[in-house]
Amino acid sequence: MKKNKTMIFLFILPTVLCLLFMYVYPVVRTVIMSFFKVESLTATTSTWSFYGLQNYFKILRNAGFISSMKNMVMIWLVGGIITMCLSMLMAVILTSGIRGAKFFKAAIYMPNIISAVALATMWIQYVFNYDYGLLNQIVKAFGGENVRWLGTDLIFWAMMIAFIFGSVGYYMLIFISGIEGIPQDLYEAATIDGANIFDRFFQITLPLLKGVIRTCVTFWSINATTFFLWTKMFSPINTETATIVPVVYLYDTVFGGKGVVERDAGAGAAVGVVLTLIIIAVYVITNLILKDSDLEY
Amino acid sequence: MKKIVALLMASAMAASLAACGGSAQSSEATSAAPAESTAAESTATDGKKYEGVELTMWSMWSAGEVQANAIQAAADAFEAETGAHVNIEWKGRDVNTLISAALESGEKLDIFEDDYNRIGHAYAPYTYDLTEMANAVGYDDFSYACFNDQSKEWAGYLNSIVEQPQIGGIFYNKDVFDACGITETPKTWDEFLTVCQTIKDNGYEPLALDGAYANFNFYNHLVRHLGEDAIAELGKNGGWADNEAAVTAAQEIIDFVNAGYLAEGAPDAYPASQTKVGLGTAAMVVCANYVTSEVDAAVGEPVNWGFFNYPEVEGNVDASAYAGANSLAISSNCENPQAAFDFIMTIVTGTCGQELVDKGGQIPADTRLKESVLAGSVETLKNTTTPMSWCGSLNTLDGWSSIKSSMIELFEGKYATGADYCAYLDTLCG
Repeated sequence: MKKNKTMIFLFILPTVLCLLFMYVYPVVRTVIMSFFKVESLTATTSTWSFYGLQNYFKILRNAGFISSMKNMVMIWLVGGIITMCLSMLMAVILTSGIRGAKFFKAAIYMPNIISAVALATMWIQYVFNYDYGLLNQIVKAFGGENVRWLGTDLIFWAMMIAFIFGSVGYYMLIFISGIEGIPQDLYEAATIDGANIFDRFFQITLPLLKGVIRTCVTFWSINATTFFLWTKMFSPINTETATIVPVVYLYDTVFGGKGVVERDAGAGAAVGVVLTLIIIAVYVITNLILKDSDLEY
Repeated sequence: MKKIVALLMASAMAASLAACGGSAQSSEATSAAPAESTAAESTATDGKKYEGVELTMWSMWSAGEVQANAIQAAADAFEAETGAHVNIEWKGRDVNTLISAALESGEKLDIFEDDYNRIGHAYAPYTYDLTEMANAVGYDDFSYACFNDQSKEWAGYLNSIVEQPQIGGIFYNKDVFDACGITETPKTWDEFLTVCQTIKDNGYEPLALDGAYANFNFYNHLVRHLGEDAIAELGKNGGWADNEAAVTAAQEIIDFVNAGYLAEGAPDAYPASQTKVGLGTAAMVVCANYVTSEVDAAVGEPVNWGFFNYPEVEGNVDASAYAGANSLAISSNCENPQAAFDFIMTIVTGTCGQELVDKGGQIPADTRLKESVLAGSVETLKNTTTPMSWCGSLNTLDGWSSIKSSMIELFEGKYATGADYCAYLDTLCG
């Protein structure tokens, strides 16, 4: 078909304009704002005063920000490994031809269609509750004493478990779509050659899912970096060291909190820039490690 | 033909985008028009004072809440009486994330609702001076001086009218106190410990505590020993471990925990522990007065609440109670400030004010109204001159989230002595 450049331009124009106004402009403004002393997010530029790298120094010296970064790295790394492994395991099992695969797919994916607020409430009130929560009922059934699952020692892990529970189904579906795209001939040939189930997984499935894994790692990185609601649910009213993450730190910095009237949009912008750089870095590193190959699904 | 179809489709897409932008503009124009014409129209009326006036209000309540229903009813009554129509947008508790942008961009916003502390600081440049209008109705005679004075001190003039006054201290279930034979509320820490022991001996849990309020609980105790200024100084420069009063304060809390006076599982996940006061298994909770309506809602029936100030300690330095408020303010670009002020008065006084007290379980914003839940709260607030803040300047410290967590740990029993805890605080401050 003959290409009509004018038509292409006209069709792309609305999207390009939207992108420029709704994405590029805020990004550029945020980057610039991070180098200025700005109190309010929407303050006019005439009230900004140049601050150099002070906003960056400020957040990097701040104990709250450092704690939030540590928590984010833990969520990304530990949570990521557990989520990806569980998702992959479920995907492999559910594509192996077991009975009831459709039911299990729907059941495991279900947490994704439930509001995260409802999901978090369920975990906090019915699973981790000290007096009548499911876990402490089990502990008591085995003769143990009630555990404070939402105390300062365990609250991070409690939050992580709840978050992973809500995430596994999503990544499982992505892996399933990847696995189903791999031709069955390869598995049949490998089986004839004597490959067992582990050989088939490590020699065929995993290498051919490189592209899918790369996508999942990028999605997970974005999820871990923009982690917000779960912290707000597990630490309502006050942000705590065990659950604070960078976006919550950013929110508190920009809007203040309970009893806090000080606001610092410049420092908040610096946090935003740092997070963006982290996502870009993870994306680049992931692409370097999981390079494109000729054959992948 | 294909080109024509393609061109039409592209035009349709562009038009739909333009329509999106256009509607916002027209909406702005529509909303601005009545206000602009108000001055001319308000005099040429059929007898109604503010005929043709249109006010926009952003509320911190969500639609359907009892407070929202009361305010909406007040708006309807106000329109029937004065002719002024109030468009109320129920923004919910995160209204503070929206107000600044609206005020700074000059959006049509006549009345808004938020923490009076934020109105006095962050929004102050965009608020209307209410002094004259307040004087005209004798506002000082039926309001709380502590809030008005703070507003004037922060903004330079009265820039907010209190809608929901709050007071902090110890809230208790009177039925549990009665069952334990406790007739007098404790005034001192020693009396408080005796009350706790009596409650415990009678098979109840003395003090409920959720982790969310552990910092507020300990801050009350610190204030008794040190006062807010000294706490601010220690927060800024450190020296907790060398401060005898700070060490004593922490040690007293450790002893309190070791004596088994905290409810089972406390500090618990909000609101699990405070709900126990409503269920009648725990007796007391340290919080602000909104805990009463939260607990009532959680247990599904009104609890027989009582209130007393946080007890004084040996060598007490500061006996003040926390006082805060959600207030109403008028934006400086409001074109009908008198109409807006009159509507605010309709909310905080009379039928609506009483409904907020009776159904919302709050302390009356108008001291002439009848108290509902907490007898004596009006008198306590009226006698308050310098209210205690919500954790004061510690809130602004770099390591505040770590300090807050350490206060939860203090109630979890993680520190052997007050000196150990204060030494840890020194690693977070200064």
